[in-house]
Amino acid sequence: MIQFFQVYKTYPGNIEALADISLKIEKGEFVFITGPSGAGKTTLLKLIIRAERPDRGEILVNGRNIARLKNSQIPLLRREVGFVFQDFKLLNHKTVYENIALVLEALKYKKREITKRVRQILRVVGLEEWVIKQTPLKLSGGEQQRVATARALVKSPSILLADEPTGNLDPGLTVEIMNLLEKVNHLGTTVLVATHDTNLVAKYKKRALPLYRGKLVG
Amino acid sequence: MGAFYFIRRALRDIKDNGLTHLLSIGTIAISFFLFASFLLVSINFDSFLQAWEKKVQIVLYLKDGVAKKRILQIEKEIQKQEEVQQVKYISKRKAMESFKRDLAPYGGLLEGLKEEVFPASLEIKLGEPFRTPERIKALAARLNKIKDVEEAQYGGIWLERFSIFLYILRWGAWVLGAVLVIIIVTVTANTVRLTLLNKRAEIEIMKLVGATDAFVKLPLYLEGGLQGLFGAGVSLLLLFLLFRFFSLKISPYLSLYFGQLRLSFLSPDLIAGIMGVGLASGLLGGLLSLQKAAEV
Ligand SMILES: Nc1ncnc2c1ncn2[C@@H]1O[C@H](COP(=O)(O)OP(=O)(O)OP(=O)(O)O)[C@@H](O)[C@H]1O
Ligand SMILES: [Mg+2]
Repeated sequence: MIQFFQVYKTYPGNIEALADISLKIEKGEFVFITGPSGAGKTTLLKLIIRAERPDRGEILVNGRNIARLKNSQIPLLRREVGFVFQDFKLLNHKTVYENIALVLEALKYKKREITKRVRQILRVVGLEEWVIKQTPLKLSGGEQQRVATARALVKSPSILLADEPTGNLDPGLTVEIMNLLEKVNHLGTTVLVATHDTNLVAKYKKRALPLYRGKLVG
Repeated sequence: MGAFYFIRRALRDIKDNGLTHLLSIGTIAISFFLFASFLLVSINFDSFLQAWEKKVQIVLYLKDGVAKKRILQIEKEIQKQEEVQQVKYISKRKAMESFKRDLAPYGGLLEGLKEEVFPASLEIKLGEPFRTPERIKALAARLNKIKDVEEAQYGGIWLERFSIFLYILRWGAWVLGAVLVIIIVTVTANTVRLTLLNKRAEIEIMKLVGATDAFVKLPLYLEGGLQGLFGAGVSLLLLFLLFRFFSLKISPYLSLYFGQLRLSFLSPDLIAGIMGVGLASGLLGGLLSLQKAAEV
């Protein structure tokens, strides 16, 4: 469960990214965060994994008080939350396998377990075996998107945050990625999708939290 | 996933950034080489000096025709000196016999040799604490003044200068050692900082997916430590090869002049110590650079 209570976030330079945000997302929900570019969608997602700190307000994630989290507790929080970054944040000099394995290494999985899980998750996101040894830049945008999604999912998070997961994809691929996210959601993971694509929101008929200039509207 | 996992990651970091690490390991190796060779030379000089000190004696040649009674008197007088451990009288005859024994292979030449040619002498052994060049020199000067003594002789006065040289060498080694630690710490701190810069993206991602601080930082500490260790190892290997070459090819010639040289390499304790210093200062360098970049 995710809860925001009157959360404010201002970036250096007096850029007010979020103001007075209060919201509640139940366990197992599928929610869109919508709004035009610059509305504060990415900022909202980043607050959930403490990649950014709120200036004011309280944030609860799976019973943890994020604003007051001790540094040593941050890794524990991040293990429960998968994040598909808007810019993927894949390591371009490493193979797809290494990119995904890195997460499990960081969580101290055994080598055998890592190999098994990486293969498994690549099948789940619909990537074929040959992709494993490629570096991300050799792949298409849609394939990179899936690798990024696989990396977020490989640690079996209870919450998945996807920032513009269909941002640069053609309609066919968009459907595939959305199907994947719905599948993950059906398996019990809470899913938050940030998107500026109003058609997408209209099509999937999920709860939507519209942001505009840092405020929740409607 | 144990220590080996982190060492593997540290090694991978080193490999990923090969040239930088090669340069820093090279720098460390050169500084270590200087330090270790100072140490090696001073240790060998030291044992050389000690061997000499064990053998050292003063030979007191007596004037011709000194009466037996007078010789006993001189012996007593010498015995009273605190430095003296043992005095042994060598008569003309004995002197000749030992000379002949030493030169037996050249037998024929010695046929007509008369014992008159050899002066009688007193061989004086010194007590252990007094076997230093300074004490020997002082004692010999005193003995020289005894009546009926022709001359007090002792070998290796040049060793006196040697011991001063040794002293300087030893101090040099420690000063170098201190400089060395500073060099290693600086060099490793710098390369670790470079790795940190190169791996910024990877480190950011690792932290975003839930890696702990220790997990991210441990390989970087180790990287510093391994650099120090490799540098020390390379320098010791180099020094050892040079030492082998020297003791096989060059020391036989030196033996002609200085008697049997028994050269020894650094003891296992010292080798372990040097590797330890490398490891420790490397780890310290890693620590410093990570401290500076506190929030990675
Ligand atoms: N690190 C930062 N430093 C300063 N300002 C920032 C930073 N990150 C975001 N901002 C600003 O905060 C505001 C909200 O940004 P945010 O990235 O959350 O928007 P967004 O809704 O994700 O936009 P987009 O759809 O373009 O990704 C914008 O005005 C942006 O310029
Ligand atoms: Mg964004």
